[in-house]
Amino acid sequence: MHFFQDPQFGNRIITLMAAFVLVLQIAMVGQRWLVTNIRVFAAQSFLLAGIANTIAYFNHAPHLYIAAFLTFTLKAVALPIVLERLVKRIDIGQEIAPLVNVPLSLLISGGLTTVGYVVAASFHRPEETMSAANLSVANLGHNTLAVAVSLFLIGFYMMITRRKAIMQVLALLSLENGLFLAAISLTYGMPLIVELGIFFDLLVAVMVLGILVYRIQETFDSMDVSKLSRLRG
Amino acid sequence: MNPGIVLFAILAIPLAAGALSFAARRRRTMEAINLCAFVALLGCAVLLASQVLHAGSVSMWNGFLAADSLSALMVLLTAFVALACSVYAVGYFREDEQNHVFEADVLGAVTISSLRRYYSLTPLFVFAMLLVALANNLGVMWVAIEATTLASVFLISFYGRATSIEAAWKYAMIGGVGLSMALFGTILTYYSAHRVLETETLAGLNWSVLVTNAAQFEKTTMRLAFILILLGYGTKAGIAPMHTWKPDAYSEAPVPVAAMLAAAVLNCALYGLIRFYVLTTKCLGPQFASQLLIVFGLLSVGVAVPFVLVQRSFRRILAYSSIDHGGIMILGLGFGGALGALGMLLHLTYHSITKPLLFFCAGNVEQHLKSDLFRRAKGGIIHPMPVTGPIFLMGTLAITGTPPFSMFQSEFTILRAGFGTAHLFPAVLLIILLVTIFIGFLVHIAKLVLGADPELPRVDACRWKTYSLIGLASLILVLAFWLPGPLFQLIREAARVAGGQ
Repeated sequence: MHFFQDPQFGNRIITLMAAFVLVLQIAMVGQRWLVTNIRVFAAQSFLLAGIANTIAYFNHAPHLYIAAFLTFTLKAVALPIVLERLVKRIDIGQEIAPLVNVPLSLLISGGLTTVGYVVAASFHRPEETMSAANLSVANLGHNTLAVAVSLFLIGFYMMITRRKAIMQVLALLSLENGLFLAAISLTYGMPLIVELGIFFDLLVAVMVLGILVYRIQETFDSMDVSKLSRLRG
Repeated sequence: MNPGIVLFAILAIPLAAGALSFAARRRRTMEAINLCAFVALLGCAVLLASQVLHAGSVSMWNGFLAADSLSALMVLLTAFVALACSVYAVGYFREDEQNHVFEADVLGAVTISSLRRYYSLTPLFVFAMLLVALANNLGVMWVAIEATTLASVFLISFYGRATSIEAAWKYAMIGGVGLSMALFGTILTYYSAHRVLETETLAGLNWSVLVTNAAQFEKTTMRLAFILILLGYGTKAGIAPMHTWKPDAYSEAPVPVAAMLAAAVLNCALYGLIRFYVLTTKCLGPQFASQLLIVFGLLSVGVAVPFVLVQRSFRRILAYSSIDHGGIMILGLGFGGALGALGMLLHLTYHSITKPLLFFCAGNVEQHLKSDLFRRAKGGIIHPMPVTGPIFLMGTLAITGTPPFSMFQSEFTILRAGFGTAHLFPAVLLIILLVTIFIGFLVHIAKLVLGADPELPRVDACRWKTYSLIGLASLILVLAFWLPGPLFQLIREAARVAGGQ
């Protein structure tokens, strides 16, 4: 079982999982149902925890195990459950009704992925990876960083085009997923205390936004944020 | 005594105050807890400032918390604004209660729970802002800035009106996206430093470590990182074109909260920006960051102009004034040179003292008129409000940079920095824009304050409100003619840090 020690093998697994993460992000853009979207997000976070675990194992970065564990419990289990409960509780219409239709959105997501690759290419320096004996950060970074930037951009795009308040929260979370991927692929994650702080903030943010979504639904009798347009000038 | 203990005290006081207020059952208890805590906090902040002036920087827990002169200045200003707001808040919320603002107020339960929300979230909000200034680690600093957003969302939606929920939603969402960009920038900074420092420990993101090695950072990455940081923390500071949350949040939040957003959160966001600006300048030279800052600064001042000129609400006009001043400060930093950073920090200091006064005046007028629209005044509010009226006018003159008030001095310093570093066009444009804003602002407020008697009932404003108003106004008058030596010393030291020297 020597390939379990081979960094190249780890690299391929990571790239494969990162590709799936990207596929799930684009699936979120194409998906019309709210609950399905939450589950897609959960699956994406699960894969992300897998990537963190793999990097921790192959690149000997033990603190990433903690980050992976937190990603799994928080983003893949806890937050999706909270969000689904919120959806059930306020009993909103399930369909998302995006501002831009699905085929065009998919096309734009494809374009944004290309942009992600172009941005990530500027970080790629093959000469450095040749000189380093084992797998360097830059080498690991290239493909996953491209995926990370794409996740970030597509998350951004979803925030702009989704009208349901809860979908915007979900888009913000998937955007955060992109950041996490960037952090683990570039530098094997942030220092542990920063990572913990970010997770704590994320948890509080979802609670705060959840309450706010609930208040919006109560006050406006709708989750359509385009109705939030009284304040002008 | 361990000098670091004061850092611990500064963070512990507001946390304890928040917890105690949450447990308190009576309004008077909560008010007392907040007032005492912020008085103690200001004392600690002064102590920290004097320590920093005498002994250089102070640090604690292996440099996890650290304060140089720039942090000490920020802590001092935050503590000052928090105290001023907490004094005003006592009178403000008592009058709110008399006006029956809190809905369904039969048994007083709603009032108490609303007030508890204010009095326990505000210390947490202040705690987060203090942590921003004291955290040495740039990642922890980001966490703290995000925490300021989270702590203040429910303060903005305090009144529970449809419009205040809208404002809170925009604030949380735009802030969230902006800060995620800032986090990306922080990650990229860590990455560009990663090869040089080769550490995966906490120290890898410590500013005090980074700043000594910044010259060897990876240049392409650092460039991208600074753009993201500028967009991210710029959103938090309300720099155009990411300013759209600002007028809504400032006009919907209770007045003490709005004053804290305008005078303290703005500082925190700019503080984050300064830290990265220093790293970027050391890595890439002054040119790159300067140009970006000048463009965004001018844009902010420019965006504020039309909205100030045609404004209908005296709360929103203050928000646009805050966008304008954020722009001026960024311009000062961008002009660079020996004077640029000094001008910026002087401006920041004076702004933090003057802006709360304007918000307090606007709050008094709003509570009297039950509206924040100019046209509801129907005459000069100087007649029914003989204290607030003149002070409002004086505050307006002070904030628009009229001599002899001290903001004239800081704006003048920034302009001198601009001319001194051959940024002729931006400096001239800044003068034109500032004059336009001065005219627009003054005309609006003069119309509101002066004029025929509207025959409104005369009010004797609650004494807490009057205390804070007169206290701040006299401080501004004193500062116009005399800046205490140690404070100027502190600002100059801080400017040295911000200028990267």
